[in-house]
Amino acid sequence: MPVYSLIIINKAGGLIYQREFQPGLRKLSTNDYLVLAGTFHGCLRKRSVHAITRSITPKIPNLAFPNSAAAPTTSTTPATPSTPQTAATAAAAATSNTSTPAPTATATATATSNLASSRLESASSSTSTYPNPSAPITGLETLETEKFRLTCFQTLTGTKFLLFTDPAMADIEGIMKTVYELYADYVMKNPFYQIEMPVRCEGFERHLGGYLRGRA
Amino acid sequence: MTVYSFYIFDRHAECIYKRRWLPRPASITGKSSRPTSDTPIANGLTSISSPSTRSTDDDAKLIFGTVFSLRNMVRKLGGEDDNFITYRTSQYKLHYYETPTNIKFVMLTDTKSPNMRVALQQIYINLYVEYVVKNPLSPVEHPGGVGVNNELFEQSLEQFVTKVLA
Repeated sequence: MPVYSLIIINKAGGLIYQREFQPGLRKLSTNDYLVLAGTFHGCLRKRSVHAITRSITPKIPNLAFPNSAAAPTTSTTPATPSTPQTAATAAAAATSNTSTPAPTATATATATSNLASSRLESASSSTSTYPNPSAPITGLETLETEKFRLTCFQTLTGTKFLLFTDPAMADIEGIMKTVYELYADYVMKNPFYQIEMPVRCEGFERHLGGYLRGRA
Repeated sequence: MTVYSFYIFDRHAECIYKRRWLPRPASITGKSSRPTSDTPIANGLTSISSPSTRSTDDDAKLIFGTVFSLRNMVRKLGGEDDNFITYRTSQYKLHYYETPTNIKFVMLTDTKSPNMRVALQQIYINLYVEYVVKNPLSPVEHPGGVGVNNELFEQSLEQFVTKVLA
């Protein structure tokens, strides 16, 4: 049960790492990998698939417990990037990363906070709640097809790890955790690694290869 | 297991049938307010939450866009004969089935539901083909849901979802 490949996307939506461990999936051109990265970029402004999967979360009218359910919904929203607190940081990130002119960034901030306020409003009016109010609303987490399974893990800082594995593979969360640990140890702690830039760290390559190939 | 909603898209990317269910069917939906594809919003669900949210029309478009791009991505990665089956977020699970004639069946359920591919296939074979395709009065294409919103199809779909999948 092999791990086919791993993709790492930075918080601006750029592809910073892509490596194939086992043949099985078709080779894509570099451009297609960039498109794939964009598909999973969770920014609300770009309206990527990942963001849309979050926005089509079904709402359940909240009739039985009008007050009790409103609290968890509101408390979970800080985890999503659509809250006023994170909107400012998101706008700041947009300016620093992609060097967008300031008006665009502020427009984004207002748009996001509008969206956030409307979401908070709908939550506080307590007419509807989400199916699983204890968990934060996330975008796509796993995708299954006949030939492979794609697991998407988003770190707290917005970096995304996409792991392509066999559909029958067990304990993908454990694998993902180890991959994240390796990334933290050999990429983030590497003093020569420039943040948000493509990952070219030999130690990471070696350990990741050893870990994921050993699982095949 | 809870089914939240169900959509059918034809090969022209048009939503020809949509249906939403409430987790507690007895609460507000009456038999008389059974929604059809012509009157997409007839039950209490949307009339309550609509002021601050999108309409079901927009939801259908967003869902189509999502499954369309995911399907294309899957075909690029896994080859032409690979099929996108399902995806899951922390809140819900989306199941997808496409017939050889490019009719797309989409169902949104809770995250704990098992694989619904067979269920969608059964809806296609036992309900859609029987009551829509074999209906002599139904047109070949279904613009705006004409022909799909017949009583027999809707009633049996209702029964299938509430009795078989519950």
